[in-house]
Amino acid sequence: MIHFENVSKRFPGGHYGVSNITLNIESGALAFITGHSGAGKSTLLRLIALLERPTRGQLLIDGRNIGRLPENEIPAHRRKIGLIFQDHRLLNDRSVFDNVALPLQVRGFPVREVGKRVRASLDKVGLLKKEKVLPITLSGGEQQRIGIARAIVSRPPILLADEPTGNLDPDLSHEIMDLFLAFNQLGITTLIASHDLDLIKKLDRPVVNLQQGELR
Amino acid sequence: MRVTLSTRILAWLDQHRRCAYSSYMEMRRRPMASIMTLLVIGITLALPASLLSLLKISQTMTGNHQQNASISLFLKNGIVDEKALKVAADLELRPQINHVELLTSADAMEEFRSHSGFGDALDALDDNPLPNVLLIHLTPNNSSIDIRELAAELKEESVTDSIEYDQGWIERMQAITQAIRRAVQALGFGLGLAVMLIIGNTIRLEIMNRREEIEVTRLVGGSDDFIRRPFLYIGLIYGLFGALIAWLLVSILLMLVSGPLGRLAELYDTAISLSAFSLQALLLLIPIGISFGLAGAWLAVSRHLSSINPE
Repeated sequence: MIHFENVSKRFPGGHYGVSNITLNIESGALAFITGHSGAGKSTLLRLIALLERPTRGQLLIDGRNIGRLPENEIPAHRRKIGLIFQDHRLLNDRSVFDNVALPLQVRGFPVREVGKRVRASLDKVGLLKKEKVLPITLSGGEQQRIGIARAIVSRPPILLADEPTGNLDPDLSHEIMDLFLAFNQLGITTLIASHDLDLIKKLDRPVVNLQQGELR
Repeated sequence: MRVTLSTRILAWLDQHRRCAYSSYMEMRRRPMASIMTLLVIGITLALPASLLSLLKISQTMTGNHQQNASISLFLKNGIVDEKALKVAADLELRPQINHVELLTSADAMEEFRSHSGFGDALDALDDNPLPNVLLIHLTPNNSSIDIRELAAELKEESVTDSIEYDQGWIERMQAITQAIRRAVQALGFGLGLAVMLIIGNTIRLEIMNRREEIEVTRLVGGSDDFIRRPFLYIGLIYGLFGALIAWLLVSILLMLVSGPLGRLAELYDTAISLSAFSLQALLLLIPIGISFGLAGAWLAVSRHLSSINPE
């Protein structure tokens, strides 16, 4: 599903985000990416979402080398991916419903279908009753769950989460991880960058450990 | 889900409707700023539009006058009344001529006598010195060139002594309006560009304000078209409402000048309907406003959207 082959990302100025990574994530897998801050966890995820382009090597998604994907095909590529961020990246001038609906709107879904799917998605993260409120009025854990609802609402084959529990206490972190496990059971290939080693140990899943941009 | 073509089209239409509505609501969130911008656009568009309207009105008036144009043909001495009537009948066959009136030397003398007050002096003359005159009334829709050609031909007729027609001032008037029209068109073009830049700048600010929204939309796979759309609608709405304000201003101006213009029209023996000009201005302003609005938005969007990429 996701295949890195000798992939490097060198930033202008000479600093390497990741260096010579070879890695294969099977379809339907759930894996963690660990490492200190600055070790390249985010860069790895950003490469998959084409928020960065690799400077060397081949990055195959679904058998297609995306390193040279033309600009105008990037939106279609990103629609295969649900993205979750530590800071949620919700739009605070729109209701929860509108935030979660955005991925469906960019795909041109009919309004009724949007309504059905948004509510199904909010239901899965347990926030069905909050659809009309603004995200800013919710707690950190709730906002993260809205972010997750937005990522899964279009049922993408790949889910990427960058420090999804970074700002949450252990109980909330557990809840969020349980959500990821549940989605993974539905066959969504999931990559989670995290430095919460205790939590990761309990879950017993493949772990990719990065140090200074290289695999350990 | 089964996606048929019709549900696709409906979804697309619905997207556009919602997009237009939300763009409109976006403008209403900052009413003062939006209204100021609209006024600037409206005044800028109203300037050339009102000049064009006034130009059209003056053209209509001179045009009507031309319809009443006539040529006076002075017959040579010794052409008797019967002969003159025959010439008149022949001339009436020409397509440019509506009808011909014979003013005999006796009629002319009578008229002169009663109007000039030189009655006694005239009695002292042996003969009537005044010639027979044919008053040639032209058909409408003769161009000034037609009239000039006809006059030249008439001058060559054997019975003609001389001819007179008051074509000069019409031609001068037409030349002047032509020059003014050019100037107004150039001015209109320049002010249209100004409107485009005003709208472009407004959209640029809008894009900066909605930077985060654009980034997030890119993150969830929004295409350039999708991201561009609301800004193009804002441009379109500014153009449309700006045009309506311009039209309002033009209508007010026409109302203000309608009194004096009415008297002027009376003097020219024509009637003009200002509401027709007002409607014409509306039909001209709306497409122009919309296209300048869209063009300005497109300019801003193509310059600034590509620079906004998610962190």
